[in-house]
Amino acid sequence: MSASLEILLLDDEPIVGKRLKPALAKIGCEVEVFQDPIAAVARIKQKSFDIVVTDIRMDEMDGMQVLEIVREQSPRTKVIMITGYAMIALAREAMEKGAFDFIAKPFKPDDLRKVIAKAAEALGSKVDFSAANDNN
Amino acid sequence: MPIIIISSEDPAVEEQIAARTAKAVGFQTLGPEVLPAIAAKHAIPEPKLAESLGRTATPWWRRQAKGRQLSLACVEAEVLDRLAPDNIVCWGLGAHLYVLGISHALKARLLPDPARQIEALAGQRGVSPQKAGKLLEGARLKRAQWAQAAFGQNEMDPSMYDLIINLGQIDPDEAVGTLTTAVGYRKFQPMTYSISSLADLALAAKVKAKLLRTMNDIRVQARDGKVVVTSKALQRERRKKTAAIKSLAGEVPGVNYVEVHLINYVIRAAAESFR
Repeated sequence: MSASLEILLLDDEPIVGKRLKPALAKIGCEVEVFQDPIAAVARIKQKSFDIVVTDIRMDEMDGMQVLEIVREQSPRTKVIMITGYAMIALAREAMEKGAFDFIAKPFKPDDLRKVIAKAAEALGSKVDFSAANDNN
Repeated sequence: MPIIIISSEDPAVEEQIAARTAKAVGFQTLGPEVLPAIAAKHAIPEPKLAESLGRTATPWWRRQAKGRQLSLACVEAEVLDRLAPDNIVCWGLGAHLYVLGISHALKARLLPDPARQIEALAGQRGVSPQKAGKLLEGARLKRAQWAQAAFGQNEMDPSMYDLIINLGQIDPDEAVGTLTTAVGYRKFQPMTYSISSLADLALAAKVKAKLLRTMNDIRVQARDGKVVVTSKALQRERRKKTAAIKSLAGEVPGVNYVEVHLINYVIRAAAESFR
């Protein structure tokens, strides 16, 4: 694993990537943002990320399929699901398929940073929260 | 780790399987032994709390009885608070009826062995097995009415549960084994969403318990410190009631925003117009 966490962030809403990329960069993560799940999957097949953060409901391919592909390609990668349509059945399905965590939208960037920190710990890495002293 | 919620029409079965499951998985149990502490904290006599959770039917005209609603809200708030640390097996507190939509709560319904139930009751009351069967059927019906009246839930609906175990066919050891295996499934592991959903339920219950001290007809939803309260009011009471709800709800730790939705008190308004 490289020194900084490598994260792929996939959400078809451009505002999500725009908002979260700098929030994660603040804690030393290298973030690649995608809005198109097909392009994201192509990238996942090229490179093994430490963490994949993916929306669930997207037009071309849903987040559950992305989760399955990541688990196939890179079992060590932690997958964090984010969705505005959180429901018990979906949450359980995601966990059953191997998601590391599941977050309901809307959430604060700091909520995601905390989950990233947990994922980093599970990967044997650490996240420096000292730079992220605000909620943005 | 998850929460296990065990329910049954027979409290002895609930207690026995809860204790054995907790021991097998190394969890704590949470049961009716917390009622004295809840009673003391909320200054409600313990028998009233026990009755509100009880096995007696609540007629429809008493559904909104303030005391009963308040007792239930206090129990609900305290139980939800105590479930937050997880690794708990909960029984006997009606949690299967208000811990809703929490993915790391495994809900199990235990169906008691009817032959054993009839035999025990017939011996206890000195009645025939036929009479004991009828008494059990009556108690079952009353229990269903209570669940409906207290929480608007049909506890006989199998879709409420993740697991239903018939103790007439599966012995207690096997039931405990099934529960301990199921609780290990990844789908029941806590996640950010389920943990925050449980915190939201707990906050809503605390606000409801607070408001029911002085008001009736209160429904509360919470999300991340934001609280939506729905109630009823006459047109002329709206402003005053909104302010009172905002003030009281705002006193609950963890609440940072309160929205109030008041529905017109149609029946009261009609009654007043005829005076």
